[in-house]
Amino acid sequence: MRTVRIYRALIGAAMRSELQYRTNLIMQTIGGVAFQGIGFAFIWVVVNRFGAISGWSIGDIAFLYGMRLTAHGLWTVPFSQLVYVEAVIRNAEFDRYLVRPVNPFIQLVCRRVMFQTLGDLAGGVALLGSAATLVNVDWSPLAVCYLVLALAGGALVEVSVNMTVTTLAFRFTRIYALRLLVDDIFNTFGSYPMRILPSAARFGLTFVLPLAFVAYFPASVLLHRTGQLSVPAGLAWCAPVVGIALFVGAYKFWMLQTKHYSSSGH
Amino acid sequence: MTAVAVPRRARLRALVGIGRMSAQSLITYRFNLLFGIVSALVQIYLLRVVWHSVYHGRSTVNGITLDVQVAYSSLAAVQAWLLSPGLLWDIPQRVRDGTIAMDLLRPVRFLPQAFASQVGGVLAMLPFAVVALPFAVLVGGAVGPASTPAFFGYLLGLVTGFLISAILNLIVSMVSFWTLEIQGMLMIYRIVQQFFSGALVPLWFMPGWLHAIATVLPFQASGYTPLAIYVGRVSGGKAAQLLVEQAAWIVVLWLLLRLIWSRALRRIVVQGG
Repeated sequence: MRTVRIYRALIGAAMRSELQYRTNLIMQTIGGVAFQGIGFAFIWVVVNRFGAISGWSIGDIAFLYGMRLTAHGLWTVPFSQLVYVEAVIRNAEFDRYLVRPVNPFIQLVCRRVMFQTLGDLAGGVALLGSAATLVNVDWSPLAVCYLVLALAGGALVEVSVNMTVTTLAFRFTRIYALRLLVDDIFNTFGSYPMRILPSAARFGLTFVLPLAFVAYFPASVLLHRTGQLSVPAGLAWCAPVVGIALFVGAYKFWMLQTKHYSSSGH
Repeated sequence: MTAVAVPRRARLRALVGIGRMSAQSLITYRFNLLFGIVSALVQIYLLRVVWHSVYHGRSTVNGITLDVQVAYSSLAAVQAWLLSPGLLWDIPQRVRDGTIAMDLLRPVRFLPQAFASQVGGVLAMLPFAVVALPFAVLVGGAVGPASTPAFFGYLLGLVTGFLISAILNLIVSMVSFWTLEIQGMLMIYRIVQQFFSGALVPLWFMPGWLHAIATVLPFQASGYTPLAIYVGRVSGGKAAQLLVEQAAWIVVLWLLLRLIWSRALRRIVVQGG
């Protein structure tokens, strides 16, 4: 309860400081939407010319794209500051977190609010909303329920992967490259039907970097395409549970690694 | 601005110095360079997989073979990285912290300085691009140039394409004289230019209306034109015409840059310094 109150106070302060630069904020949000827009524009041009990508129509891919983008937005809005762990450690800002009587993890994520990330979320929801009418899905309450769970699960998968990578900063200080690479792979391959990839890459993006669980598996479930997957349908169904399990693991890993924090001494 | 008469030779030497400075600062951030290459390779791999998937055994689509298409996207990614507007001469930063005053005090005009800096940056990246190319071929694919004239047309088109993208970069960064918060705008510019330069999808696969928009914009002249000549999509008189159009763009954009710069100069407010 106390944690919730403190979280609200901290996040409120971060929001107020961010709202000082409104114009740039709006431009950056538009920039973020444009960045995702160009990714989708490419797919649209290709499908427009070739009819489909591996049997996935433009509606199907828009649905997949929307799911992945919404999941992405869902984690980056509250956890954007995770990616700055490296700087926080290097500047010994983490010292401050340790002497305050609040969970350091909460202090970290409340460091700043990146309103731009709302652009991803809004874009994702808009795309998902318009694609929902194009795809051949019977939107029963159960299906809607699964979609919501899958989006939350997808966000948890992404946040877990990012947390795990950034947590390594407590041991190896410089992890910038690895983080960017993982982010790049997620952004590049996350919105495509993974059928197009060769099996080794598919395996890697399922069991090494669990990208398939973010959107591809749950989208396949909702679009009745589990038959095309190279994993059992049951595993695809479990995507939301995988998200929760990974998050618990990633948080434990974070707690374990923070013990290895040694101040850079400023 | 430059009331002092500086001999041409000294001016040239100064510009070469500025170019070298920018090259050095670029190489100092080795990591950024390396990440740019790795990111381009990831992109090349995705495009290769996508094109293989949609061709699905068809040998040609719209007169373009799969090999040519994959080679186009591989080369386009390396080229886009080389000429990337991420190379923006740090005008916005210099306006923000006031160092722009130093640039203006130098006895060499500002625009040539900014231009020399861009040239220096690209020359510094060129060896890295040459090293990255075999990897791009490995991850993606390659075809030779369509013919010997096509190869020379490509080189010529690449140089003029670079000039166009450099002038465009300068035009966009001039906006920082009007507003300091331009990160968002730079991002939008980068995205629009990436798409319409044909870095992701070549103009030949764009639907009619999109193709029409891309054709009237200057971005295709910086990226698509040299590549279309290289793979032989255009040749002979048509290729020559595209090269002339590129030259026309350089003139038009340069005049526009001059105009904007003369306005910007009157707007300048140096902070601190």
